[in-house]
Amino acid sequence: MSGNIYIGIAYLSIRKGGLGRGAIIGLDGVPHGLVEDLAHRGVMPNFRELLDEGVLKPMRSSIPAVSAVSWSSMMTGANPGVHGVYGYTEFLPGTYVVAYHSSRWLRAPPLWRRDPSRRYVIINLPATYPAGEVNGVLISGFVAPDLERAVYPRELLGELRELNYKVDVDYVRASSSPLLLFKELAETLKTRVEVCRRLVERLKWDVLIFVVTGTDRLEHFLWDAYRDEGHEWHGEFLEYFRHVDEAIGEVVNLLGEDDALMIISDHGMEHLEVDVNLNRLLEDWGYLKLENEPKRSYNAIRHGTKAFALDPSRIYLNRVGHYPRGSVEKGDEERLLGELTELLQDLRWRGRRVIRRVYRREELYHGDAVDKAPDLVLVPEEGFNLRAGLFREEAFEEGELSGKHTEWDALLYVRGVERDALPESPSIEDVLPLFQRLMEGEPS
Amino acid sequence: MKLHNAHKTCWNCPAAILKGNVDFRACGQSLEAIRRRIEREGLLIECARLPDLGHFEPTITFEECPEWRPTKYGYLLENMRVMILGIDGYLGWTLALKLGALGCEVSGVDCFLRRKMVRELGTDSVVPIYPMEERLKAAKEVLDIDIKFREINILDREKLGQFMREVQPEAIVHYGEIPSAPYSMIDCNHAIQVQYNNVIGTLGLLFLMKEICPESSLIKLGTLGEYGAPLTGRPLFEGLFPADAVLRWRGREWSLGGELTPRDPVSFYHVSKVQDTFNIYEACKYWWLRSYDVMQGVIYGVHTDEVAADPRLRTRLDVDEWFGTVVNRFVAQAILGMPLTVYGEGEQIRGFIALEDAMECMVRLISSPPEPGQYDVVNQVSGLHKVSELAETVARVAAEFGYDVKIQRVENPRVEADYHPFEVVSTKLPNELGFTPKVPLEVEIRRMFELLTQPHIVERIRKVAHLIRPRTWWSGEKKVVETLEVYRPGTRRRRGFKPRLITDRERFPVSKVEEVERAVEAIGGGEGGDGNKG
Repeated sequence: MSGNIYIGIAYLSIRKGGLGRGAIIGLDGVPHGLVEDLAHRGVMPNFRELLDEGVLKPMRSSIPAVSAVSWSSMMTGANPGVHGVYGYTEFLPGTYVVAYHSSRWLRAPPLWRRDPSRRYVIINLPATYPAGEVNGVLISGFVAPDLERAVYPRELLGELRELNYKVDVDYVRASSSPLLLFKELAETLKTRVEVCRRLVERLKWDVLIFVVTGTDRLEHFLWDAYRDEGHEWHGEFLEYFRHVDEAIGEVVNLLGEDDALMIISDHGMEHLEVDVNLNRLLEDWGYLKLENEPKRSYNAIRHGTKAFALDPSRIYLNRVGHYPRGSVEKGDEERLLGELTELLQDLRWRGRRVIRRVYRREELYHGDAVDKAPDLVLVPEEGFNLRAGLFREEAFEEGELSGKHTEWDALLYVRGVERDALPESPSIEDVLPLFQRLMEGEPS
Repeated sequence: MKLHNAHKTCWNCPAAILKGNVDFRACGQSLEAIRRRIEREGLLIECARLPDLGHFEPTITFEECPEWRPTKYGYLLENMRVMILGIDGYLGWTLALKLGALGCEVSGVDCFLRRKMVRELGTDSVVPIYPMEERLKAAKEVLDIDIKFREINILDREKLGQFMREVQPEAIVHYGEIPSAPYSMIDCNHAIQVQYNNVIGTLGLLFLMKEICPESSLIKLGTLGEYGAPLTGRPLFEGLFPADAVLRWRGREWSLGGELTPRDPVSFYHVSKVQDTFNIYEACKYWWLRSYDVMQGVIYGVHTDEVAADPRLRTRLDVDEWFGTVVNRFVAQAILGMPLTVYGEGEQIRGFIALEDAMECMVRLISSPPEPGQYDVVNQVSGLHKVSELAETVARVAAEFGYDVKIQRVENPRVEADYHPFEVVSTKLPNELGFTPKVPLEVEIRRMFELLTQPHIVERIRKVAHLIRPRTWWSGEKKVVETLEVYRPGTRRRRGFKPRLITDRERFPVSKVEEVERAVEAIGGGEGGDGNKG
């Protein structure tokens, strides 16, 4: 991305002679504005201190703004058209069977493969499951259904189990009661920090990546508790971010003063007002035809289906030759995309525009993996949560969660640089080259 | 026309790894909650056979999956790992060969308890059976089937667990129980032996499955006798009440749909089977195991293509009062010129199925696993008959072979109704599993005469002839039953109730069955299970 060129002389002069070690702290789903706000309100004093030592900026996320895509972009420095990850789900080739993200999908090398001479301690990095070989330690973040395969090397497993290390909060417990959610969040974070401390103190390392994902979970469940000071869980919300700030402080204390430090998030968050079920719309408009029974996922797609949506905001044409009941011939593609774009752009809910922008794949993606890309990707207006919504009865539903991802206000913090050392409008694809330059301490 | 299990998906497949991906066993979510989650949010599984697929929703159908191959009995997992407990027995050995011929990787355990028990009682299988070592050798030589066998008593959970870990079975057929009502009624020691072996053996197995192979399906042999023969004549449903069953009492009504139907076991052996039913039902509920509880009718016969392929491959056949089932006993008696002994009035009605048909049912059940957490029951019968009518049929076939046979009524040593209505519902096998009985009663009886009239077998029958007439009374007495009446076949007036078997077969008429078979041929499926889906 063009952002790379902004990594300026000012920064490099500060970093000159650095030890070549560096850390990335990831705060999943934390918007730039929230950190700035809580730092200044005294909830995140460690971050407040860091603000004096470096630069905080909003960062553009991936489109769509979901962690699998954005963390893949951050760790490869590549566009989804190159790394091949467009969401948490894809169909197994030649079927309508939904497969979930696997690190095997990644077509571009992530940081630890690009530079295998360095030693890595990577804790809770999303979209890395199953954990592959690395020079050091890799503990995958979500989605990681089985801890055993989320850990490299496996020898670490016993220690993690002893500590009751969890990849993620237990959704079932968390959704049954906010009390359990906060308990799960606190325990998970505490263990994560403990594991980080042990590994950093014990191992020789060059790169530390430490990601907190409880932030994203809390914001999804209780974003309104942040915005509304009268909310019954407002105090607990802030308390969790106090813990996160303490965690940041602890991790930073593990670093040397000369070690490079970045703090990043993968996307922003905002109030979720209404869920928009794209497949319901496509069905209503006559582009998607589903069997009534059994309601068994996308296998219900019938002949005659022209388009379907995958989470969160991806629309695919049901092409002949690509899918078992493909019904779109090559000659019809352009007309259908035009029709859909128009319908989506005109979509209104209670008089309000729903879709901010309809992107064609070629507008967003470039690279060898573009053939797997969705045909259209949508960016919603504020408050609208786009989702696939297969078999939903209504196109618009009251939001089931409280917060939703945003594309424009992820956060980027870099210690020890001047403001103009960072790109004017950084994108998550800038993270890797920026970090590598920080590590080098010299222009590359 | 699709095969009966074409629509089943990974959700049913034992190769779909749920443990770790769906953490329901720990949190006790309801089946309904899980179903809702699948429909609304999706659910992750991994495929033990195709790990490169990563995590995906359990929605690939058997028809679509390259691991499930068409056979004449439905799609079957290629080289499916099936473990048979009690593999040395009448059914276990027969099924092992059938599954082996279909391309399954068959393993099995047995502690030869049955061989020991009959020896102690002074009897033996009238069809000679070979030591396991020779059986296995013959299976390899004649049918090119490799069977992995281990001599293990299922009560030895450590050894059984080790073997299960080694094999990682995708289906477990549990024949490892003592299968005799009269044996359990000999005395206290025998009742305890039967119940301990059957109930504790099965309970231990359930715990092992939970730990080692929770995704595999358990096909457990129960018996139609678990239900008893209710004098009200209410239908014997398939284990659970259908959705529209209602309990009415004092002007109020409750749905009974999905509840276990009443059991009324008729011996301490049958009680052990009922206890198994409850243990399995609970294990499915607590741990999301999956099981078919097979309420099998009284079995008879000697033939499958595989056991008939070589004398060394024959399965056992018992005709003594403890382990001989009624048709098998009648044929033995006919061959020796003895009157066929009918207990009491002979108007008792029971469900029956021929060995070959029962084996086909078992293959179909193995090929169509229940959903995780599902406890399902099938009534595995092909016909209902009165005992006296069976005697008439055997006598008729015996006449074809030149035997002039009489029938004698003797005192009934059991506690059971001589006259009772009997209505059995058996709709799942014909309608959901594509089963149509292939072996009429007379045909199998003829096969039995053909085999059992061979001189060396007649000699063996003669040796145990004195043990056919019962002496084990449910009262605990030990005395040979007295004869009440001797009559010529066809001379006794028919009395009592008319049995009723409800199959709903109109939903799956024979023409459709033939259509399925043609479809299987068209897609290249066959006995070998090596059909190509293209």
